[in-house]
Amino acid sequence: MIRPILCIVLLAAVLLTTGCWDRTEINDLAFDMGTAFDLTEKGELQASIQIALPQQAGMTGGNNQKDKFFVLTASGKNHIELQKQLQKKLSRQLFTSHRGVIFISERLARRGLDDVLDVFTHDPHNRLRTYIMVVKDQDAKNIVQVRYPFEEGPSEAVRAAESMGGQLSVTLRDFFIAASSEGASPVTAVIQPEIPDGNIEREMFRFTGAAVFKGLKLAGFLNEKETDGLLWLTGRMGHSRITAALPEGYGNVGMVLIGAQRKITFIGGGSKVKFNVRLTGEGDLFENNTSLDVSKMQNLRIAQKALEREVEKQVRDCLFKIQKQYQSDVAGFGGVLYRSQPRKWKQIKNKWDKVFPEAEITVTVKLNLRDTGVAGPPLQLKKREIVN
Amino acid sequence: MDVKTGKDRGKVPFEEEDHGELVPDLAYNETALKSIFRGCSDVIFRSIRLGGETRWIVVYISSLVDKKMLDEHILSPLIKRRTNPNENVSGSIEALDDLFVSIGEIMLASKISDLVRYVLNGYAVVLAAGNRRAMAVSVSGKAQRSLEEPTSEPVIRGPKDGFIENNSTNIGLIRSRLKTSRLKIETFTVGDLTQTEVALTYIEGVADASLVEEVRKRISEIRIDGVLDSNNIEEFIEDTAFSPFPQVQSTERPDVVAAGLLGGNIAILVDSTPFALLLPMTFWAGMQASEDYYIRWPIATFVRWIRLIFLVIAIFAPALYVAGTTFHQEMIPTSLLLSIAGSREPVPFPALIEALLMEIIFEALREAGIRLPKQIGQAISIVGALVIGQAAVQAGIISAPVVIIVSITGIASFTIPRYSFANGIRLLRFPMLFLAGTLGLYGIALGFLGILLHVCTLRSFGVPYFAPVAPLSLRHIKDVVLRVPVWNKTSRPPAAESEEQGTR
Repeated sequence: MIRPILCIVLLAAVLLTTGCWDRTEINDLAFDMGTAFDLTEKGELQASIQIALPQQAGMTGGNNQKDKFFVLTASGKNHIELQKQLQKKLSRQLFTSHRGVIFISERLARRGLDDVLDVFTHDPHNRLRTYIMVVKDQDAKNIVQVRYPFEEGPSEAVRAAESMGGQLSVTLRDFFIAASSEGASPVTAVIQPEIPDGNIEREMFRFTGAAVFKGLKLAGFLNEKETDGLLWLTGRMGHSRITAALPEGYGNVGMVLIGAQRKITFIGGGSKVKFNVRLTGEGDLFENNTSLDVSKMQNLRIAQKALEREVEKQVRDCLFKIQKQYQSDVAGFGGVLYRSQPRKWKQIKNKWDKVFPEAEITVTVKLNLRDTGVAGPPLQLKKREIVN
Repeated sequence: MDVKTGKDRGKVPFEEEDHGELVPDLAYNETALKSIFRGCSDVIFRSIRLGGETRWIVVYISSLVDKKMLDEHILSPLIKRRTNPNENVSGSIEALDDLFVSIGEIMLASKISDLVRYVLNGYAVVLAAGNRRAMAVSVSGKAQRSLEEPTSEPVIRGPKDGFIENNSTNIGLIRSRLKTSRLKIETFTVGDLTQTEVALTYIEGVADASLVEEVRKRISEIRIDGVLDSNNIEEFIEDTAFSPFPQVQSTERPDVVAAGLLGGNIAILVDSTPFALLLPMTFWAGMQASEDYYIRWPIATFVRWIRLIFLVIAIFAPALYVAGTTFHQEMIPTSLLLSIAGSREPVPFPALIEALLMEIIFEALREAGIRLPKQIGQAISIVGALVIGQAAVQAGIISAPVVIIVSITGIASFTIPRYSFANGIRLLRFPMLFLAGTLGLYGIALGFLGILLHVCTLRSFGVPYFAPVAPLSLRHIKDVVLRVPVWNKTSRPPAAESEEQGTR
């Protein structure tokens, strides 16, 4: 009878008296929601962290205008130093596991991310699911200070918007995979703060295309149309909307894409390598600003051709930029070659930077318009205005 | 396994004294009985005289006999005989037998101690002059309540009668459900002072004969002064006393007992309590309500799954909350974490203390609700809900998520249908809470393993407690995670495995 009790008491003592207890209450933590990295004039790293201020639910009464976050800034040689500097300004322990987004300023990205990224793989408190984005033109610090009306703060808003899809969203994991694979280069999304005339009430941000890296250095940007092309090329198109103008000023049509696929095939070639990109997609016609009666098959074809041409143009524009201007294989053509002909890849691997800009890439697009919505021609048109 | 006997308690068991035999002298017998019943004002000695001398004495306890029966079937025939002197008055006790033909149960006894026992059990004892034997006539009419719906196990659909505090009525309720001569009822008398009737009930050929023998042995070895509820019996015969899980199922419902008997279980009915015992019991029996078999099977299956989910919640929810908020903040979705952090902002206690405090208060409320008279019980629940649900949160002493977790846990523990089983489950969350508060998820995993290990090693009268899941028996598992239609249920539960392989 006495032995089990003794056992329980001793076990309880083991549990309760050990010194190394890593228990931390939630209200002893400072949650880093998003971090912005800048390059200072002295060439040091500068980190601006956005720390969430937990809102007390149900405690209404005038303090709705309370800030949802505050920003701390520190600079240093590397992350450890940054962390130390930041912790000195905090009464609570900095907790990075809930960081949703990492913002990199354009200046820092152009200098190269070699000494910025390592900590995100070494420190277990960091998540590889964190989004990474480049802030164009401005300091990255500005973006974490945007007072965005939705969500807990701008970082959370960016995270939510990114995961919504339909645009380029790159996590640390994607970035590392692209950076470390054979014959591919990383891209990231691009964000810009929009503060119209310093009006703090209307602070917003905007996604403005993609940042193309060469190695770990920023090579340049793609605009929004070209980014759509990039999404097609990288097979991340998924759900999206495409609009196209019909030739001869007929008007324009728009479709909602639901299944998009891409297939890159290596065709061969001697000194010049040849690829074919085949893009297919399915979807419904949702907008018809022409006088065509799209319930007729031949008219639907016209709309379809126009849309296909538009997609092809986007992809070609994108290809031109990444091939000729930035010379960075962000769509992973090298990877395709590596997988289909590993021997050939071995030969040209080291001069791929030279070979890729000269590669001949053909694009074929096949869109399938399955449905036209509920109306054939626009309903507001009179009968004689409709083109059959 | 050894059963605790009276000697273990360091006490000499109380034995009924031997008072010797009756003698032909009626006056002597009367004195003997009166000296035994001295100070017992409820024992009545009714002398009936004939021709100037006392011929018969009727001894009974007024509160235990049915007065109407006593008047009609004993006193009036005796008195009629007195007023009708033409009849041949025979003094022999056998002649009385002819008088009391309208009575069902009649015994003859010559030992005074036997007579005392009869009187105490509600018989009327008739002593006749010149006889060495007396007659005990069953006219017992104890005060008893009428059959009511069981309060501890209510059902929406299904039989609504429940056991009462009278064993013969209870046995009748079972017998009326199982009209077979194979239903055996063996009675024992347990309790030196209470002399409580304990009935061992089983269906011959369905229940395991060796199990019946074992239970018989364990019951007859019980030495105790008084048996006031079947739990007194339960604690004597169960295998493992140090377990939160009951190894004997107790029920107030005759249909549950009948179903158990059909499934090869053994029932023990104890006089003066409406709670019968069913054994062996398994973990899964604790999770099943009798109504599972009275509603359509898809619904019953769904309800069983709900119970399983809430069983897990009842044990682990507060522990998971504490582990998550004090050790594994990275595992909580960001927006949820921020709202928890927001409500924890003013709270002065660590999450473990907070959860512990609320759990204990909840238990106190539950206990208060049971013990108090029904009218005040209402007030308790209102005060509890208001004070703890509203005021404590608004005052910033307790955070709202903890209140939510504790209420969900409370509701979850009430979904477990067997009361004694639910109590065991309710107890388990406290060690889990401590483990979670000291070791986090690792502690919860350890605790879970510990519970699993205990449940898997536990045995109830030779049947593994976790059967048929561990050891796995695919044939029987149909009735655990599912409730297959009755026509599909072709095998008896594991308790009856060794005997005939009957259907249903």
